[in-house]
Amino acid sequence: MADILGRRRFLSSAVLGTTATVVTATTIGSVAPEAVADPRKLDVEAGAPDPNFVEGRITGIAGGLLIVTSSDRTLNQLHLTKATSVWKLRPTTADAAQVGDGLYARGVRMPDGTLAADAVWLNIVNLVVHITSIGRDVLHLDHHGDRIVGHVVSGTTAAVYNNTPAVSDLSLLQVGRHAQVIGAWRPDTNEVDVATVYAAA
Amino acid sequence: MIMWLASAQQAFVGGVLLWASAFKLVHRNASVHARRSVLARLVGTERAAGAYRAVGVVEAVVGLLLLAPPAFPAEAYAAVVLSAGMLGYLAYGKLRAPESSCGCLGAKQTPVRGRGFARAAVLGALSVLAATATEPWLDRPLETVAVLVVEGAVVVALSPELDHRWLIPLRRWRVRRRHPLAARAVEIPLESTVRQLWKSDAYRSVVEQLTSDLLDHWDEGEWRLLTYAARTPSGTVTAVFAVPRLAYEPDRVRVALVPVEEEIFV
Repeated sequence: MADILGRRRFLSSAVLGTTATVVTATTIGSVAPEAVADPRKLDVEAGAPDPNFVEGRITGIAGGLLIVTSSDRTLNQLHLTKATSVWKLRPTTADAAQVGDGLYARGVRMPDGTLAADAVWLNIVNLVVHITSIGRDVLHLDHHGDRIVGHVVSGTTAAVYNNTPAVSDLSLLQVGRHAQVIGAWRPDTNEVDVATVYAAA
Repeated sequence: MIMWLASAQQAFVGGVLLWASAFKLVHRNASVHARRSVLARLVGTERAAGAYRAVGVVEAVVGLLLLAPPAFPAEAYAAVVLSAGMLGYLAYGKLRAPESSCGCLGAKQTPVRGRGFARAAVLGALSVLAATATEPWLDRPLETVAVLVVEGAVVVALSPELDHRWLIPLRRWRVRRRHPLAARAVEIPLESTVRQLWKSDAYRSVVEQLTSDLLDHWDEGEWRLLTYAARTPSGTVTAVFAVPRLAYEPDRVRVALVPVEEEIFV
């Protein structure tokens, strides 16, 4: 924890320049697009699977390696590093990954066949739904006739109304309306924790 | 008591059958509903509309026979057979076409679920009761109306295709009176900060080099700091963005690229 706080303090001072100790960091306001070197090329044939992408469910965790079974039953091994972003309802760390979690990952395929993950999203779902009922800290959703329980997580759940900036106020959600929900699935249930709900108001 | 209750069932089951048949025969979009229903799966999409009307005609005939005096047990048995057929139809739909609509009592498309089975079972049981009737229901109009109202409410409650007529408006009214999610702490969601970041020149200048999604975030006074992993020609770096937390001013967003190794020396 102290490590994380120290690192945060260091990075804060790097970008905000609050202390004189950080002089080596390249603080820049803006870099012209032409200065950007070598944007990674996408060299995947049309129709071929993207080797740098993995989806599936975690069937095992061994050391820093996630064993993932994809929906076409291929097995993939994922390396997570300190530079890997992990999302599970909110940005979190690699410890949050558990056996049974659904997963989407992007990264770089290593020569040994493993994927060095750059970004991992755990249990993320994107649902177009009807709101059928609203309760205390819960949204009941209808997804093509299937009932889904959306849990409102205080401090995390946000709402975007009419494409305006996200707010924590959910009181404009209405029963019977369409909504789009980005959330984290609770594995093997019909329940999700709601990260963002998009609705008209 | 049992006698007039049984008579009332004749009126009730007959009424529900007439309602179902009227929906199938008179509704202007009936053929569309037919194609969306389990029936389309059962007899083929081309024949679905015809089969749908045929079912409607059978329901109308049985319903009218039940309503019209005198009361013959055979009429009620026909209704029992219809209810049993309905249960079989729903079971088939549940197994073979789970996303198809029932197409039973209303235009709203709703897949086959438990409530549909309960409704068919209730109608079957009431039809059996109706078979024991000996006197026409018209002999006791007041009691019959009371029974009709109560049982009608049960059938409506068991009809998912009618929810939008009463359940949703009821819930909407309740939420409008007092919104269950109104009393929540006001804070600036991370999502809003990230959106602001995306609009900033600072982000656009380095986005090609970012490799990860959001790594970490924390608040520092009026700033919210967001970190991403990035790859530059000189190696792996952490991109740190400072975004105004309490205002929407994408022009003020700042970025620093910090070599990963340097963080060790802190």
